[in-house]
Amino acid sequence: MKRRDFLWLLGVISGSTVMSACGSPNRSAKFTSYLLPPEEGIVPGEASFHPSTCTECPAGCGVLARVREGRPVKLEGIPGHPVSDGGLCVRGQSSLYRLYHPERLRTPMARDGGKLRPIPWEEAFSRVAESLKGSREKGRKNLFLSGRTTGSLSRLADAACERLGIERLPEYEVYSHTGVKEANALLFGERDVPRYRIEESDFLLTVGADLIETYVSPVAYTRSISSARAGGEFLWYHVEPHMSLTGANADRRFTVAPGAERILLSFLLREVVGRRTPKSGLPGELLAAFPETTAEKVSRETGIPTEAVAEIADRLVAAKRPLLIAGGVGTEQPGGLETASAAALIQYAAGAIPERVDFTRSENYRNVGTLQDMEGMSARMGRGEAGVVFLFRTNPVFSLPPRLAFRENLKKAQLTVGMGEFLDETVREADLVLPLSHSLESWGDVEPRRGVVSLLQPVLPPLYDTLTDGDAILSLLGNLPGKGSAGGYRDLLAAAWEKRLGEAGRRRLLEKGYIEETLPSRPVSLDGRRAANGLRDAGPVEKPVKPVLILAPSIRTFDGRSRNLPLLSEIPDPLTTITYGPWISVSPETAARAGLQDRDGVTAASADWKAALPVKVQPGLPDGVFVVYRDALPSPPVRTDRRTGGAVDRIEGVGITKTGKKAEIPILSGSFSQQGRGLIPDPVHLDSERRHKRWTLYPEHEHKVYRWAMAVDLERCNGCAACVAACHVENNVPVVGAGDHLKGREMSWLRIEPFYEKGEVEFLPMLCQQCDNAPCESVCPVFAAYHNPEGLNVQVYNRCVGTRYCSNNCPYKVRRFNWWQHHWPEPSDRMVNPDVQVREVGMMEKCTFCIQRIRSAKDKARDEGRKVRDGEFTTACAQSCPTGALTFGNMLDKESGVYRLAHSARAYRVFESLGTESSVHYLRGRKP
Amino acid sequence: MSTGEGARGNAEKYAKVDRDVLAAMKRPGRAYLAGLAFALLLAVVLHVLWAYQVRSGLGVVGKMHPVMWALYITNFVFWVGIAHSGTLISAVLFLFRARYRTSFNRAAEAMTVFALMVAGLFPLIHLGRSWVFYYLLPYPNQRQLWVNFRSPLVWDVFAVGTYFTVSLVFFYVGMIPDFAAAKQHVLGIRKKIYTALSLGWQGTQKEWRHYNMLYLFLAAFATPLVASVHSVVSWDFAMSIVPGWHTTIFAPYFVAGAILSGTAMVITLVVPMRKYLSLHDYITDGHFESIAKILLLTSLIVTYAYIVEFGLAWYGENIFERETFRYRLLGDYRYFTWTMLFCNSVVPLTLFARGLRRNTAYLFVVSILVNIGMWLERFVIIVTSLSHDYDPYAWGLYKPTFVCLGVDIGSFGLFFTLYLLFVKNLPVLSISEIKEHL
Repeated sequence: MKRRDFLWLLGVISGSTVMSACGSPNRSAKFTSYLLPPEEGIVPGEASFHPSTCTECPAGCGVLARVREGRPVKLEGIPGHPVSDGGLCVRGQSSLYRLYHPERLRTPMARDGGKLRPIPWEEAFSRVAESLKGSREKGRKNLFLSGRTTGSLSRLADAACERLGIERLPEYEVYSHTGVKEANALLFGERDVPRYRIEESDFLLTVGADLIETYVSPVAYTRSISSARAGGEFLWYHVEPHMSLTGANADRRFTVAPGAERILLSFLLREVVGRRTPKSGLPGELLAAFPETTAEKVSRETGIPTEAVAEIADRLVAAKRPLLIAGGVGTEQPGGLETASAAALIQYAAGAIPERVDFTRSENYRNVGTLQDMEGMSARMGRGEAGVVFLFRTNPVFSLPPRLAFRENLKKAQLTVGMGEFLDETVREADLVLPLSHSLESWGDVEPRRGVVSLLQPVLPPLYDTLTDGDAILSLLGNLPGKGSAGGYRDLLAAAWEKRLGEAGRRRLLEKGYIEETLPSRPVSLDGRRAANGLRDAGPVEKPVKPVLILAPSIRTFDGRSRNLPLLSEIPDPLTTITYGPWISVSPETAARAGLQDRDGVTAASADWKAALPVKVQPGLPDGVFVVYRDALPSPPVRTDRRTGGAVDRIEGVGITKTGKKAEIPILSGSFSQQGRGLIPDPVHLDSERRHKRWTLYPEHEHKVYRWAMAVDLERCNGCAACVAACHVENNVPVVGAGDHLKGREMSWLRIEPFYEKGEVEFLPMLCQQCDNAPCESVCPVFAAYHNPEGLNVQVYNRCVGTRYCSNNCPYKVRRFNWWQHHWPEPSDRMVNPDVQVREVGMMEKCTFCIQRIRSAKDKARDEGRKVRDGEFTTACAQSCPTGALTFGNMLDKESGVYRLAHSARAYRVFESLGTESSVHYLRGRKP
Repeated sequence: MSTGEGARGNAEKYAKVDRDVLAAMKRPGRAYLAGLAFALLLAVVLHVLWAYQVRSGLGVVGKMHPVMWALYITNFVFWVGIAHSGTLISAVLFLFRARYRTSFNRAAEAMTVFALMVAGLFPLIHLGRSWVFYYLLPYPNQRQLWVNFRSPLVWDVFAVGTYFTVSLVFFYVGMIPDFAAAKQHVLGIRKKIYTALSLGWQGTQKEWRHYNMLYLFLAAFATPLVASVHSVVSWDFAMSIVPGWHTTIFAPYFVAGAILSGTAMVITLVVPMRKYLSLHDYITDGHFESIAKILLLTSLIVTYAYIVEFGLAWYGENIFERETFRYRLLGDYRYFTWTMLFCNSVVPLTLFARGLRRNTAYLFVVSILVNIGMWLERFVIIVTSLSHDYDPYAWGLYKPTFVCLGVDIGSFGLFFTLYLLFVKNLPVLSISEIKEHL
């Protein structure tokens, strides 16, 4: 061969080898950035924020949707929003998982021979119209049942129902707050839940109301409690029959015998009326409805020690601006009417109305009906009176007790139309299924509190062939909107806003996402005689039969409606650290008597009901009380309180028997005790453990411009886990499921560790401590874990080979290993944050103080030729925190919040003695 | 030996040695083939399971948060420990001119090399992304990425790599004269291979002089490695801040433990080998007694280390350390700890009795128990320390799955496959040395 030929051949061979390697079939999906943005307003690589409102629960918190390349990837609270003021709870943070849920309804469906079959919208609506006509001819009543609606949608539904001759039933909510509403109606003629201004009070007594978890507007309450505490003189006592997160966070928590709340409150009412100055005028005949008693007697009946009863009374009498909130498990029970009435009267007598208990801005629960209303509806359907039944965003089949036979009676209606996002227990029963858009795909408004208009606006086009709530109802009226939705609900809304708020107001609403109107104040007056008669006519209160099983609302799933969001199952329940699966909480005494341990299977049974559940021994839970979260029991056998029509959210006379089987439920905490290790030290000892200079052979790290750090105020942290959800969504932390949780392989970068001592619990948020002397860095053989010049322990994911030594050597155990290649099932892959790498199998991952946010803030600052300012941006966890417990910033900036907090006398670091020199400073103990 | 008769007598003796030792290399019997097939099967299981693990992700093994290291690292340390006695018996005893070494040195050296080959697999199997294992090597690259020399894992790469290289060279150099002897007794392809391997050895005076110098030098070079390798392996643990790992006694403690387990493994291997290959004339009960004394001595050192560890934890007033050792003794893994103490500290004490030291059947049982005990020691150290470290919230229990158990058992298969191949293909005793001592 000639040299020339050889070179020619070599060139051909190497060229073709290289060329053929280029077209790997797996790499055919290319990511290319746009040369021209596909739509106006989309700047590739840049996020835009659009205000909207969270619809995960009825509270109506404002959210800013962070949109990247036309897809919302994160929800954050709107600072200044009248309800949530920048906070967002764990459910709100998770609600993107609802938008992108793989099981969402994608098209209208009709029942065809027992099976649901897709049909076009036109056909769906013509079927409805036909049936409406048919039922009118047959003399049947058409019914419209919805969950709580407010604002324009509620008015539209009213109008539509009136035009079509449909009867709009009272709205159905599991947590209807009937006891409170009925008491307020009886006393003041206001059938609603007032707005409580906790921030204005100096002493708060809550009875049963789970302010932090679900009660009416938890983020709003959480923020007000925080600001009240920040103000200094504020004390919060909580009385409850079980153990809740709210109770755990009160300054003092008292457990009361179930049903005995009214006895305590009667006593307190008389104390306040008798001892508080200035004397308040309370009609004598009304006072007579609350029997006179003594602290000793109250103590005997409630189980609260006499001194404690006296102390509560003294505080209530002495406080300058007391506030009392009774609700939740405290009022939704027999005797709840008395409890709520006494509470309202104490407010009245203590002069809390209208400053702290404001009916002018009440919480818009007026249209919500009772369980008794549902009984009526079910009975009517059972009698064959119902024509077309609309079930609009409500799931009564799941939550109503079986004795109502709602599911069976539904079949007797001529046509049932299920409208919702999922094929849930109720929609599944419908003859016609109309899929609704998620609120992030919809125009609308809500009015969670009187005078607060909060905007709903689409931040992405509908993922599927769905209609927005408003358009769906409009379509019932016969005008099916075109694809551009011109002439649809959007135009209607625009006109309504313009009329109500004026042109400027409308623009402000669109820009800020909310508007708070000034309302004429609504004075309340007390009609003593009528109220006294009402209370007397209500009849005697039944005594509860112990032991009692309380169906508690859950911070993760509300009344059960959020239970199908994968992320919420992934995040542990704050009190028990259980992630997946239902359980029954049992008091330590009961457990000891029955020889029960965590995970033991039991059968819980009352006279007409039974369920098999695994046990979790719950410290702090009183004997004779069991707790199951509402989402764990479909169709629970709740009774109707005949005196108010409300539901009695408890099952009485429940006994448990051990089955001998162990159930697999993931309890993430390895120990509920600190084991004397001082993770949360006794504040008394804080001062004695001041740090001292350590000598080292290695050169110190130099930090030139920034040194990022965080302060965690444990007095503010209430364990609500909103930060955990925010971190998951922001950082593409995968949802791994129950199987891996059972093996202890949860992936969350941030966790809330509950530590119990003598039935009291404290919460410690644990995230990467970004140590200056990081044990993880020195052991990594490949420099995947390294120290960056800004004091972060960063992880170079692609360099990681997965020796996992870093995790072994981390005393805080905050590193997470990718045991599998994790997948985001379609379409949830669209919520992946493009700023954060999705980690591959075999890599270690961890918190890096949201380094992507640091980077974008630095980029922005550099463009403007300055340093990043304190508070200009913050991490996802700190952003979401409703209490403001987390403060992030630059330690080199002596003016920064984090510098101030880290140098406070209350500051300490976890495992200080190890010399890790961590950058997360915890604050412990009350402000001096 | 000056008379011709003496010389003839010697020649006969030498021929007998050649015959006896090389007889082992004759056609294998059924039992041998069955054993080899079984070992090979296990070795295949190891590789199949590894492939499955790479394909599915490390989630298929039982590891979890916080026990990120478990069976694989246990096996790594175990096999490195096994590898230890090879050098000790070969090099150290050579330097001490301990004669009984001759009976064991070849088997021990082979064991060292094979154990290291098996041990070397485990850090790779254990990696989350074993396909990028080369990141652990300091190779020049365009991106100028370098390894972290502060990490004990990098020291490991060097320590084990060095030890393997030196052991292999030592093993090979020792066999050169034997290859020359062996090539005269075989035909065909084997003859060619042995001829090549013997590097043209003639057995001249000059060759022997150079050879002895080289062997002495290699022995002297390998001796410090006895201390260094397992010290470095122990630093994988001691350099961390995990309670139960972070202690200065680890290096001598691990070295002693390694010699204990290595010696036990030598006994485990040589007892059946002697029986099967009829080498009673060359490996005597007296030789076994000597090696049993090493076992006893190292067992006492290890027991001392146990006492020091628990004692310091009790005396040290460090709540983390104390809890770790309380947990080790009384916690979820207590049966492992108790078995370990029984096997490593109690059973070898019986070897104070001379009769038992000379009883090979008994020694075989003891050696198996010590092997189990030493394996458990590594498991106990690794798993109990990790499962109960600083943050009580993160405490957790580790349970192995079939994959890591299968790989573990498979590693024995791989080891025995290699060893069985050695027994039939290489001279199992040092022919030249035996002749030297005749």
